[in-house]
Amino acid sequence: MSEALLRVENLSIGYDAGIGQIQALRAANLEAHGGEVIGIVGESGCGKSTLAAALINLLAPNAHVNSGAIYYKGADILTMDKESQRHLRGPEIAMVFQDPMTTFNPVITMGDQLVDFQHHIEGVSNTEKRRRAGELLARVGIPDPELCLRRYPHELSGGMRQRASIAAALLMTPNVLVADEPTTALDVTMEAQIIHLLRELRTDYQGAIIVVTHHLGVVAELCDRVYVMYAGQVVEQGLVDDIYHAPKHPYTRALIACDPAHFEEHTPILPTITGRVPSLLHPPVGCSFADRCDLAISRCREMAPPWVRISETQFALCHEARP
Amino acid sequence: MTALLDIAGLSVNFPAGGGLLDALIPGRKRYIDILDGISLSLKSGETLGLVGESGSGKTTLARAILGLSPISAGTITFNGAELRTRQSFTNMRRSSAMMFQDPVASLSPRMSVGALLTEPFIIHGVAMQNRKVKAEELLSRVGLSKDMASRYPHELSGGQARRVGVARALALHPKLVIADEPTAGLDVSVQGEILNLMTELKTVMGLSYMIITHNLAMVRHVSDRIAVMYLGRLIEVGPTREVFKMPLHPYAKSLIASEPQPDPRKRRADLAIKGEIPSVLNRPRGCEFHTRCSIAQDRCRSEAPELQAIGIDRIVRCHFA
Ligand SMILES: Nc1ncnc2c1ncn2[C@@H]1O[C@H](COP(=O)(O)OP(=O)(O)OP(=O)(O)O)[C@@H](O)[C@H]1O
Ligand SMILES: Nc1ncnc2c1ncn2[C@@H]1O[C@H](COP(=O)(O)OP(=O)(O)OP(=O)(O)O)[C@@H](O)[C@H]1O
Ligand code: SF4
Ligand code: SF4
Ligand SMILES: [Mg+2]
Ligand SMILES: [Mg+2]
Repeated sequence: MSEALLRVENLSIGYDAGIGQIQALRAANLEAHGGEVIGIVGESGCGKSTLAAALINLLAPNAHVNSGAIYYKGADILTMDKESQRHLRGPEIAMVFQDPMTTFNPVITMGDQLVDFQHHIEGVSNTEKRRRAGELLARVGIPDPELCLRRYPHELSGGMRQRASIAAALLMTPNVLVADEPTTALDVTMEAQIIHLLRELRTDYQGAIIVVTHHLGVVAELCDRVYVMYAGQVVEQGLVDDIYHAPKHPYTRALIACDPAHFEEHTPILPTITGRVPSLLHPPVGCSFADRCDLAISRCREMAPPWVRISETQFALCHEARP
Repeated sequence: MTALLDIAGLSVNFPAGGGLLDALIPGRKRYIDILDGISLSLKSGETLGLVGESGSGKTTLARAILGLSPISAGTITFNGAELRTRQSFTNMRRSSAMMFQDPVASLSPRMSVGALLTEPFIIHGVAMQNRKVKAEELLSRVGLSKDMASRYPHELSGGQARRVGVARALALHPKLVIADEPTAGLDVSVQGEILNLMTELKTVMGLSYMIITHNLAMVRHVSDRIAVMYLGRLIEVGPTREVFKMPLHPYAKSLIASEPQPDPRKRRADLAIKGEIPSVLNRPRGCEFHTRCSIAQDRCRSEAPELQAIGIDRIVRCHFA
């Protein structure tokens, strides 16, 4: 494969929490190549948003990078100076946030904000920028872009805000688009439309798209490769077809089995993975999934599982994984 | 079963926005009809799923029920009494709870999780023995560890914030819970846990739920009846199983067909629904779905369909259902 556009290496991030440090991300590795759509899935609270925030250098003030690097076009974005980081954010790497309310300033109209998102584009008038904003709003399926531009964020429905935040990120014409749950507030027809738009973008330009989502259907429909996370670690990576049809990590299998979309029959009590995630204040020495895993043996609790190569493209963090 | 909540002919409109100048332009509509003639009831102990287009007015309907959206026509009856006055809505809000769509933004940023969880007791003057113990009990009910009590909303993951929202909504043992996207942002296992918890509490506490969601895979398993909205109107209502098995309205049909399957081998090349999405500012004439309906006829472009009953418990708004 060619040199990755973005490469996360051995990244560990913790949050100061008074009583200790929450190990939100532990030795994570990830690669994204131009033209690729990457999916990140995993349990709630496993560090997906932390990873996404690190990619655009917008970590919370109490976050610490304990180890690792993020290379974008060969340079480590975590250690470059603030000024260079600012230049990256937006035109190079842009993010669609999980909670669209946090993207927009509540007291400024959508139009003014969307013009402002394009501040780095030179030689273009504000009228032109406003026109571009309207055009993109229409492209993400906002029925009345002109009206939307005149409104304040709270005057839009949840899904309209979400589409507007996707438009905001796209207005910056980034090389890497990181989208944290970009379709959760959308109805399925709109969701399908956004998926198609993102797929179109992939063919239009050679950037990479990284999508964080809980919707396994969206990943199946959109992504080329998938990273599965659990308790701060990447536990499996592979081509989308292998992840769905030949998952090797017990957590991946359990996650896919819980998706209610698989059940045709009315199932009032939905399947879940029994047990709890370990505390991230003191992650276990052995496998983090051991307490919930059917295959767990004593070794799983005593020794950290190895990163097993299943094939050229598939890997799993598990003592029991075999090619 | 008696109706716990009965909504009849409910309409809500908002000012069209824009500045003074807009208001002076003749012909520009001053108000936009967001909800139009909604009639819907919820039996006690029932779970109603409310689905539909993004922007079709689902959240607005939920807010109207709680007295938080301006009602321009129609009535809402809760527990046998019509809600008219500010006081009646305040009383109603005491025996109902709302789980909001934006999980983090809906939690006050300056309060710790522990304080947020016990706040409903204080707002409504309900006694509790020990604030800390209560908070921990509520946390464990939704599967969060005790040490979360000292965290602040921005220090939670999206899913954790969602669980705090559930714990808060159920704190005062409400009769009616309106949950706006209760599982958005949760992994499928935690989603299952939250819904199983809601189902369990429903049986134990005799709750009724109105679940607003875009997650069809989930709502088809947890709701008894389902209502589908389009552009501020109900277009189909019926028992969940029947609607999923055989949707009658073309929009409901394409909605159900659009759900992406969790299998990369079932990718679709084509969109199930195309066409210009109409705006509330400029409602299409006749049937409002005709701009996107694959079976639209001339009649649809001129004559608006009324809601019609099909069998004993289904209604649909289409000339050709
Ligand atoms: N600012 C913070 N301070 C302390 N802990 C934090 C902070 N932000 C996140 N965390 C914790 O770090 C862990 C990872 O959080 P993160 O938001 O990355 O999870 P996530 O995978 O995005 O979850 P979700 O799917 O629920 O959005 C969680 O346990 C969360 O509680
Ligand atoms: N305070 C407000 N002022 C003006 N218009 C509003 C206001 N709140 C909502 N609207 C408009 O009302 C319509 C319905 O919004 P609502 O939030 O009820 O939709 P929804 O069905 O919940 O959508 P979603 O699924 O995207 O959350 C939208 O067109 C929105 O722009
Ligand atoms: S290492 Fe052991 S406990 Fe962990 S997932 Fe593999 S088999 Fe299960
Ligand atoms: S009335 Fe006509 S346009 Fe409307 S949904 Fe039915 S067939 Fe389609
Ligand atoms: Mg997240
Ligand atoms: Mg809404």
